[in-house]
Amino acid sequence: MASRKKTLLKVIILGDSSVGKTSLMNQYVNRKFSNQYKATIGADFLTKELTVDDRTVTMQIWDTAGQERFQSLGVAFYRGADCCVLVFDVTAPNTFKSLDSWRDEFLIQASPREPENFPFVLLGNKVDLEPRAISAKRAQQWCQSKNNIPYFETSAKEGLNVEQAFLAIAKNALAQQNSTVDLYNEFPDQIKLTNTQKTSNNGDSCAC
Amino acid sequence: MSESSHYISKYQQLLRDLKSTVEGLLMTQVANVWSVYGGLNRFHTIVDKIFRHGSKGSEEESGYYNFIQGLEWLQPENSKSYFSIDCEYRPHIPSHLKNKKSAIWLYRSLENHSLSQKLSWLLSDKNHLSKCYHDYAFLCQEKYAEATLICLRAVERNQASLMSEINPSLFLQKPSQFLKIHRRCSSFPDNHMQKIYEEKLNIRRRTIQNFQNEVNKKIATGKIHGKLKAWHSMPSLLSVQHNIFKNRPRFESKTTPSTPIHSKKISPSLLKVDYRTLQPIPKKLNIKRNRQNIKPPDVKHIIIDNCSIVEHTPSLSSSQSSGTIMNEELTQSTVSMPETKSKVSNILSQSPLTVVDSFLPMPGEKDYKRLPKKTFIEDGGMSVLPMATGYFPKPTKGQSLLSFLTSSQFARANAELDRENAHFSISEAIISAMEQIRCKRHSNIGEEQMDDSDPEIVELKQKIRLRRTKRVLEKQKKNMSFSLMSDGKTDTATTVSPCSTPPDATSDGSSSDDVEDLEMNETSNLEENAGLSMSMASLFSEADIMKRHTRGAPDGASDILSAEGVAISLISKFSDKQLPRASDLEWLVSEEDAPQALLPLPKSWPVSPDSAEENITPLRGTQEWAPPRAQIIFTIHPATARKVLMSKQNYRCAGCSMRVAPKYASRFRYCEYLGRYFCTGCHKNQLALIPGRILQKWDFKRYPVSTFSYRLLEQMYTDPLFRVFSLNKNISKSTKNLEFCRRLRLGIYYLKDFIFTCRYAESLRIREKVEEMGSALTQPDFYSMDDLVKIKSGEMSSKLKVMVDICCKHTSECKLCLARGFFCERCKADEVIFPWQLRTVSRCDKCGSCYHLACWRPGNSPCIKCCRLQKRKESTDSSIRINNE
Repeated sequence: MASRKKTLLKVIILGDSSVGKTSLMNQYVNRKFSNQYKATIGADFLTKELTVDDRTVTMQIWDTAGQERFQSLGVAFYRGADCCVLVFDVTAPNTFKSLDSWRDEFLIQASPREPENFPFVLLGNKVDLEPRAISAKRAQQWCQSKNNIPYFETSAKEGLNVEQAFLAIAKNALAQQNSTVDLYNEFPDQIKLTNTQKTSNNGDSCAC
Repeated sequence: MSESSHYISKYQQLLRDLKSTVEGLLMTQVANVWSVYGGLNRFHTIVDKIFRHGSKGSEEESGYYNFIQGLEWLQPENSKSYFSIDCEYRPHIPSHLKNKKSAIWLYRSLENHSLSQKLSWLLSDKNHLSKCYHDYAFLCQEKYAEATLICLRAVERNQASLMSEINPSLFLQKPSQFLKIHRRCSSFPDNHMQKIYEEKLNIRRRTIQNFQNEVNKKIATGKIHGKLKAWHSMPSLLSVQHNIFKNRPRFESKTTPSTPIHSKKISPSLLKVDYRTLQPIPKKLNIKRNRQNIKPPDVKHIIIDNCSIVEHTPSLSSSQSSGTIMNEELTQSTVSMPETKSKVSNILSQSPLTVVDSFLPMPGEKDYKRLPKKTFIEDGGMSVLPMATGYFPKPTKGQSLLSFLTSSQFARANAELDRENAHFSISEAIISAMEQIRCKRHSNIGEEQMDDSDPEIVELKQKIRLRRTKRVLEKQKKNMSFSLMSDGKTDTATTVSPCSTPPDATSDGSSSDDVEDLEMNETSNLEENAGLSMSMASLFSEADIMKRHTRGAPDGASDILSAEGVAISLISKFSDKQLPRASDLEWLVSEEDAPQALLPLPKSWPVSPDSAEENITPLRGTQEWAPPRAQIIFTIHPATARKVLMSKQNYRCAGCSMRVAPKYASRFRYCEYLGRYFCTGCHKNQLALIPGRILQKWDFKRYPVSTFSYRLLEQMYTDPLFRVFSLNKNISKSTKNLEFCRRLRLGIYYLKDFIFTCRYAESLRIREKVEEMGSALTQPDFYSMDDLVKIKSGEMSSKLKVMVDICCKHTSECKLCLARGFFCERCKADEVIFPWQLRTVSRCDKCGSCYHLACWRPGNSPCIKCCRLQKRKESTDSSIRINNE
C-alpha cells in the first residue's frame, strides 16, 4: 500500500556561501553547470523524481542562501524536512568550520522529533579544484563525531559523485520518513494558514 | 556729400535696428529664438525694411520680389520648388502679409533659419543685385550686407557672440576716420543704449587724450609725484610709469583710438561667403544643394543644442517667467513650423521645458521653468542658488588675464546677481587691460629717454630697490600668518591696485607713500621678470594651454554669453604677451569705493605659506551679510518683530544683500521657511508648504517664501528627508492617518522582500505596482514632503492599503512565500509568522528573526538567535586563538 502512494521527500541543502549548493542541485536536477556565480536570495526548490528501492519518490530539494545578509526572509521551510545536506568547499577551510553552526541552526529551526537521529549527509564539494584544504580523513572524522553522517566528495562542475550522493540522500530521507510516525509528510499541510490571515486582518482593522 | 552722409545714417539706422532686435532676441537665451514673444514679427519687420531699401521694384510687391526670385536660377534644380512653396501663405503667418509673396517668403525663410544662406546666394551674384537694387541700396553696401548676414546667422545659431564680428566702424558717423579696422564686442547691455554708448566712447577718447597729454608732460618735466588719483577710469599713473622701465616689447602706436588694434579680418570659418570670388559656378552650386538638403535636420539641431544650453545653466534669470506661458509659447513655436512639426514637437515634448510641474503650482504663485534638476539628496541643494553669493574671484599673482578668465572659479555656477555683476567687473578688467596696453605703449617712448640717464643713478636706484624688497618680504611674512589672503594682499599692494586686495590690506597699500609704491611695484616686476611671467617661453606655453582649454573644454568658460565668455572672445584677439597680468589690473571701482569685506576666516585655519598662493578659498558674503544656504529646516521660526529681525539683518535683503532704509523696511517680505526678510526681487510672494510647520503642527497651509526657498523646497519636495517620528514624537497625536500610514509603510517594506524574490509573484505583476511606492520601500522611516502631503490627503493610505492587501493575500497563499516565513523560536508553535504582522509579531532588527509579540518584545530581553550567534562567534574566536597559540 505504502509503495503505491507517491512520496515527497523534502531535502534541505545548507552551507556557507559559494560552496556550490545551487550548482550541486542544478547538476543533479538539470545536469547543467555554470561557472558564473550568482548569490541565491532567500530559498527556492527544485523537484526531481527518482526510483529508490523500486519506489518512485519525488525529491523536493531546497536550495538556500548561504549569506547571512538575507535576513528579511525566514526559514520556515526547515520544518518537515526529511534530510539535511551540509555542503562545504574542500579548498576553503572556513566553510568546513562553520558546518557545526549550520547543523545546530538547522536542528533548532526545524525542531525535528529526534534531533540525534535526524539524517544529515555531508558533501565535500569542488574536489576538482586544487589545492585541497580539508582532507577526506578530516571530514570523515567530523562525520563520525556526529553520529556517522554519510560523507561524499563531489564536484558539481564535473558531475562527479553527484548522482550517488543524492541517491544516498534520498535513501536516508526515505528511511527517516518511514521511521517517523508522522503521517503529514506533505509540506503545505504542516503550515497553518488560518492564523496568518487572521493577524493580517487584525492589523488592517486596528489601524483604521 | 550730404546725400551720401544721409545714406550712411540710414544704413546705420537700419543696421542698428537690426542689431538691437537680434540682441533682444538672443538675450533671453531661450531654446528657440522664435519663442520670444513677437520676436519673429519684429525681426521680420526690420529685415523687410532692409530688403526694401533701395529696391528697384514697385512698392506694391514689397519691391524685392524680383531679387528673391533670383533664387530660382541661383539655386539648383531640386530646391527650385522650395521657392514657390516658401511664397505660399500659411495660416500662422500674420494676415497683413497675406498678399505679399515676398514678405511671406521672408517670413518663412526667417522662421526656418535659412535666410542667411539664401541671402548670401543672392548677394553673391553682383549682376543680379545691381539689376534689382539701386547703387545706394543697403544690400549693395558690402559691409552692411555682411553685417546683416552676421546678424541673421547669430539668430539662426542662437549665438549672440557672433554679433561681435560686426565691424563697429559701421555704426560710426565718419567711417573714413578709421584707417584700421577695429572690432568691438557687442556686449549685452547696449540694446537701447547705443547712442549713450557712443557718447561715452567719445568722452573716453577725449579723456584718454587729455590723460596722455598729462602723462607726456609729466614725463617731459620729470616731475613724477604720482598724486594723480583723481581719475578713476584711468589706470593709476604710478604703475604705468613703472612699466616704462621694463623691457617690454615696444609698439609704435600711430593711432589714438582706445580700441584695440588688430588687423585680422572676420574669421573665415564664421563667414563663408566671399562676394568677390563667389560666382554661380556649377561646382559651388552642388555644395549648395547639399546644404539645402540637410536643412530640416539643421533646425532640429539648433533646438537640441539650445536645450542643452538651457540644461547647462542651472538657473537663468528668465527662469522666473511663468511656466505655463513658456509652454504656450513653445507649442506656438512648434505649430509655426509645419514642415518639421512632428520632429520638433517630439523633441520639445522630450525636452525638460515641457515637463509638467509636480510641485503643485497654486493660483497666484509663480512657477519655474522646469529643468532637469537634481534632487536635494543628490546635490545637497547646491544647484539652488541664492540671488547673490557676494563672490567674485580674485586673480592670483602672476596669473595671466586669459587664465584668470578661464579659471574654474568662473565656471563655478555663480548666483544670478553675481553673474550679472561679473559683466561689470569683467568689462572693467578688460577696459583696464586695454588702457594698460595703450599706456604701456606710450610710456615706452618715455622709457627710452629715461634709459639714457646716468648709470650711477641707475645703480643707486637698484640698491634702494633691493632694500625695499627685503622690507616688503618681511612684511609679507608677517601678513602671511595673519590671513589667508595675505599673498594677494602684498601682491596687490605692490602692483598698486587697491581694489583687488581685501580690505584689511588696503591700509598697507594706501598708507605707504607713493615713492615706496613705485619702488615696490618695480621690485615686484623685477621678481616677475626673474621668475616665470615675462619669459617668452612660459608665456607662449601658457597661452597655448589656455587656447586649448578654451576650445577643448566646453563645460568651463564655454557659455559664450557669460561675461567671461565675451571677455575671452574679446581678448583672444590679442597676443597674451600684450595683455597685463590679471593681478596687475587696475579696477575702475576700487574696493574702497564699494567695500565688500569678506567674512572673517576662522583663525585656526591652517595655511602653509606655499599653498596659500594657489588656493584662494571662495568665500561667501560679506561681514554684514551672507547668502542663504541650502538648509533643511525642521522647526518653526519664533515670531520676531520685523524691526528686530531687520536690524539683525543689518537692513539688508537676506537674498541679495540689498540695503533698505529703515523706513522702507516694511516693503520687505518675510520668508516663512528661512525666517528672514527679503527684498521684493528675491521674494515674489510664492507660496509653499513649510516643512517645519508640517512636522511640528501638522499644518499644511501654504506660506509666502522667498524665491530661493521656493526653489529649495521644490527641489526637496520628493526627497525622503524627514524622520517624522523622531523629529516630533507627538506627531501621531495630531493625526491618526500618519500612524496608519507608518504601519502600512513598514508593512510594505517587509513585504517587498518576499514579493520581489518570489517567482510566483512575478506572474501576478505585483512587483511593478509595489515599485511605485518609492521611498516607502527603501526607507520606511523617512518621509518626503510629497509623502506627507499624500498622507494628509489620504491618498497614501488608500494606495498603500491596496498594495498591502494584495501582497498579504499573495504571501498567505504562496507556498514559496510561506516557506520563507518564520517560526517563533520561543513557543515553537507550528504557525508561520511574518514581520509585517505588526500587531502580533515582533522582529529583531539585528538578526531579523521574528517572534510572537507575546513571546518576545525588542528591548525586554536579548533575542535568542542573537545570543546563539554571539556564543558561536565567541567559541570560534577562542578556538582560533587556541590554535594560534
